Formats: sequence, structure tokens, C-alpha cells
Amino acid sequence: MDGIWIFAERQEQTLELLNPGRSLADMMGVKLAAFAADGGLAPEYIAHGADEVFVLPPLLPGQPLESYVAVLADEARKRTPGVFLIGATPRGKEIAARLAARLNTGLCSGCTGLHLRDGSNVLEMERLMFGGKAVQKVLCSARPQMATVLPGTFEPAVCLPDRKGVVVEVHSASSSEVRIVSRSARHREGADVTEAKIIVCVGRGVESEEHMERVRELARVVGGEIACTRPIAEECQWLPEEVYLGISGKRVKPDLYIGLGVSGQIQHVAGIRESKVIFAVNRDENAPIFDAADYGIVGDMCRVVPLLIDELGRLLKV
Amino acid sequence: MLNIITCFKWVIDEADIKADAATRKLLFGRAGYKISAYDRHAIEEAVRFQEQHGASVAAVTVAPPSAKKCLKDALSRGPDSACFVNDPSFLDLDPSQTSSILAAAVRGRIKFDLIICGEGSDDLYAQQVGPALAERLGIPCATCVSKLTYAEDEKHIIAERRLDDGMETVLVPLPALVSVLPGINTPRIPTLKEVLGAAKKEIFNVALEELGDIPGPYLKTVEVVAAAMDRRGIRFSADEEGVRSAVNALFKEGVLSQGVL
Ligand SMILES: Cc1cc2nc3c(=O)[nH]c(=O)nc-3n(C[C@H](O)[C@H](O)[C@H](O)COP(=O)(O)OP(=O)(O)OC[C@H]3O[C@@H](n4cnc5c(N)ncnc54)[C@H](O)[C@@H]3O)c2cc1C
Repeated sequence: MDGIWIFAERQEQTLELLNPGRSLADMMGVKLAAFAADGGLAPEYIAHGADEVFVLPPLLPGQPLESYVAVLADEARKRTPGVFLIGATPRGKEIAARLAARLNTGLCSGCTGLHLRDGSNVLEMERLMFGGKAVQKVLCSARPQMATVLPGTFEPAVCLPDRKGVVVEVHSASSSEVRIVSRSARHREGADVTEAKIIVCVGRGVESEEHMERVRELARVVGGEIACTRPIAEECQWLPEEVYLGISGKRVKPDLYIGLGVSGQIQHVAGIRESKVIFAVNRDENAPIFDAADYGIVGDMCRVVPLLIDELGRLLKV
Repeated sequence: MLNIITCFKWVIDEADIKADAATRKLLFGRAGYKISAYDRHAIEEAVRFQEQHGASVAAVTVAPPSAKKCLKDALSRGPDSACFVNDPSFLDLDPSQTSSILAAAVRGRIKFDLIICGEGSDDLYAQQVGPALAERLGIPCATCVSKLTYAEDEKHIIAERRLDDGMETVLVPLPALVSVLPGINTPRIPTLKEVLGAAKKEIFNVALEELGDIPGPYLKTVEVVAAAMDRRGIRFSADEEGVRSAVNALFKEGVLSQGVL
């Protein structure tokens, strides 16, 4: 039972997982292997720390990514990895859950940190529970020790261009009873919120398009990206899904988070807790966002936002 | 006629959990319980099938006997019957155990064409039980479903999945399992009549002894502490003076220049 394995839906997540993967492999004295659906990525994965790259067979037309469950399970039974890390995208989470069931092992979902227990090969895995109110640490008694790791948890692994590694073709057949009928890619409006240095986040305190205009202006003045709470994306559908922050949305680590009319329920705060500075405007002095904020203004955002725009505009000269 | 199972979890209301800032201990004091939020959407979706396609709906939960209250709550939301898989040891189960217990309880005992689960639970949010249950029952599944369509007498359902890079529409042959997102519907609030009617509905109990061998647990929780949140908590007034001081404070933090200069 050895080897650290990595599977992620996308290249950038694989590169992120190679980072903790490499450290664990070195500490445990085992090999690090990454799966690639496209053999062309193998040299890059090797340069970023993989000792082995397992190239998956191409999916048949209409097969979803989840069809790899059978392949991954076959390989895991054959080669018995000690640790299996999977990128926690929606598809990755389904794959991991099904794989853990097939392999009869434990899975730490939405893992936010991993450490080896002193002098052992046992992983201590951290995750959030109770909507983000608590941190849970778990150990897995079966093998492989599995975790789905949230995108952005780790920096991409360091690239060493002359690293050597082996490329292995995997031959087991993918299979799925589920068939894709159609797909529509989401076109991204604006930049990726997870990359933004400054985020202006709106909650249900924003009641009209006129409010939104002011918020956009504030974002422009500070050079920030606009994000929101779940109800603004899901119920009001004022902003796209990919910009809502929280435990079931995006997790962000900006230098500055500005929350406007955000109540600060724990599920939302879970996505912003790693912000360097949190500033909130809410008219309810008891709103939980103030417990999570460094700076706060208790007041009506309709009045406060124009004042912020004036003051910031003056100082930033925009 | 379709037979539908909807799975739900009775969870502690996380809004009632307090934390001791000094020790980071969680205080459960008078915390109440509720049907996990996503599972209310799962139940609602099953009931929509009942109304539109004449499906029969069984709501299933795995819990300790002390959670008995949850049955009436679930039944008042529309299912025809409830299956209460209970044992005093069914506390803080890991997702592999919950899915194994559900699989053992359902297999050969409850007829089904479709199983509807919520995408994740309010307490653990592990998002495993749905897909793991499908594996254990050997049926196909689709997660992150935001729309379900079924044409009567078809042998499949069409599920729209909301993924991080777009939408994916899949055809899933029945019997199958789906886990649903909150956007799929708006759960109804039970009327008084529905609450009273719930008492007359059928409840099956399934005991641990009837389940056979349940493997696991595989995950051991070694620590649960309140998430640390060290923030300054400085407040300013909502007038010009306050706003100026707030903006000053942000400048001093050095977080404002970057986006612009
Ligand atoms: C399992 C689960 C997962 C969830 N995941 C997420 C998630 O990932 N992300 C997320 O965001 N939510 C999530 N939620 C929902 C979350 O619990 C909250 O319901 C949500 O974050 C609240 O959004 P809000 O702050 O916009 O709205 P509300 O809670 O309605 O708050 C609006 C706030 O605006 C203030 N306000 C109103 N008018 C004004 C004004 N004129 N000026 C200033 N302030 C004003 C009010 O005082 C109030 O505090 C989840 C819930 C569950 C159960």
C-alpha cells in the first residue's frame, strides 16, 4: 500500500494537488502519480512533481467524466495507492464519492488542509462542518486515504523542467449508463472572483437595479470585482452563479472584502474567512457579518455607498 | 406508476450552535433539530412527481430513535409513507456508513424507480451519501441536478446538472438516483391540514438487526473546534465623518492601492 495519487478534472487543479502530493510523497518515501485525460499534459505534470502519469483512455462520445469511476477503481485495486486526492469540482466530488464506495474506504470531502501525523503514514485531514462554523479533523482507517480538495486550497506545485518521470497508458474501459444529451458552457462575464484582490460583495440588502449601479461604481472606483451571496445569484438571479461566495459557492482570499447588505450567515462567511481585511455595511447592528468583520458601518447602504464612492474616488483620484 | 424514494437527514440547527471564543469549544445547549435544507428540496421534488405523474413517495431516514419527530415533519411535506431506519448507535455516522445502511434498508424492502437525495447535508455537507448509495445499489446517478424531467412510461429521466463550467443535460436510465440543488424548486410550507394528515400516514421501522453486516466506519473524527475568526470588529458611524475614518483605516491596512495603482 503506497503511492500518492491525484485526479482532477482540470489541469490547473492537478497542478495544485501536485503541491501537497509532492510533499507527502517525499515525507512518506513513496511515488507521486497523477492521472491525465490527455497524454499531452504528461510532461507538464512530471515537471511539476509527478513521478508517474497515468494516461486515461479517451471517453466515448456522450460519456460524462464520471465514466472514469470504473477505470480509477480498477487501477486502485491493482496498484493499491495509499492516498488518493481528487479535485473538489462538482464532477470530482461525485467521482470521489462513488470511488470511495467501490473501494470501501473513507473520504474526507471538501478538505481544506492535510498533514501527516508525526512519524506515521496517517493523514490528518481538515474540513469545515456546520456550515463553516466548525473545523473537523478526520483520519481514515482504510486505504487509500481519500480526500476531495477544494480548488484554490494549495498553490500550484513548483515547476522543475528537468524532472524525470514515467508515462503509463491505462487501458481499462470507461463505462457509464448515463449519457450526455447536451452541454452549454458558461460564458464568463468579467474576471474570476477567486483571483480578485478586492471584492465588492452584495447581499439581499441590495434591492434595486439603481442600488446595483452604485455598487458597480464603487467596484470600479476601488478596482474590485463584484460578487454576491447565494440568494442574489440563485433566487434573484441578478448575478451569475459563479460569483456567489460561500460554502457551496466560491471561496475567496482577497486583500479586501467589502460586504454590502450581506447578513453574514455562516455559510456565506465560510467562503470569505480567509480574506485579509473584511469591511461590511449593514443597517442591522446585530447582523452576524459584524462579528466576521474588521471594519463595519451600521447604516443604510443607499446612503453609505455614495459617501464611500466620493471619499474613495477623491483619495484614489479616479 | 413510478415509485420514488426520497432520503432526508435530521440535523442539528447550525444557527443554534454557539462557540466559546477562548476554548473554541462548540456549545450545543438548546440547539434545535430540522430537516436538512437541501433535503427539503429533495422531498419537494419527489412530491412534484407524485402530483404530476402519480408517483408513490417513500421518505427514508437513518437516525437514532430519539429523532422520531422527524417523521411527522417529513410526512407533512407530502410523501405517502416514511421508513425509519433507526438504532441508538446511528449517531455521528460517517457518510460511508449512512450510505451502507440506506442501501441495506432499501434493498429488497422498498420498491423504487428513482431515489432523490439532497446535494449535501447542513451539518457535514460531505455530498457523498447520494452517489455512494447509487454505487452500493448498482444504479446510475446524476449529482448537482437543477431540473428533472420525466415523460410517462419512459424508462429514463432527463436531468439538468449545474456544474462549475456550465450546464450538462444527461439521460439517466431508471432505476436511478439523483441529488438535487436548492434551485430545483421551492419547498412548500405544510398547511395545518397536511400537518394533521401526516399522523395518519404509514411508518415502517427498520432495525439494525435487519440490515446485515454494515462495514465501516472508515473516518474517525479526532477533533471538532469552532472555526477561528479573529477580526478587529471596529465600527464607524454612517455619516461623512465615519465613512472618512473607515476609508482611512482601509488605506492604513494597505489593501486599497493595489487594484488601482
Ligand atoms: C446548506 C446551505 C448552504 C448554503 N451555502 C451558501 C453559500 O455558499 N453562500 C451564501 O451566500 N449563502 C449560502 N447559504 C444561505 C445562507 O444561509 C444565507 O441565507 C445567505 O447567505 C443570506 O444572504 P444575504 O446576506 O444576501 O441575505 P439576508 O440574510 O436576507 O441578509 C440581507 C441583509 O441585508 C441587510 N440590509 C437590508 N437592507 C439594507 C440596506 N438598505 N442597507 C444595508 N443593509 C441592508 C439586512 O440587515 C440583512 O442583514 C446556504 C444555506 C444552506 C442551508
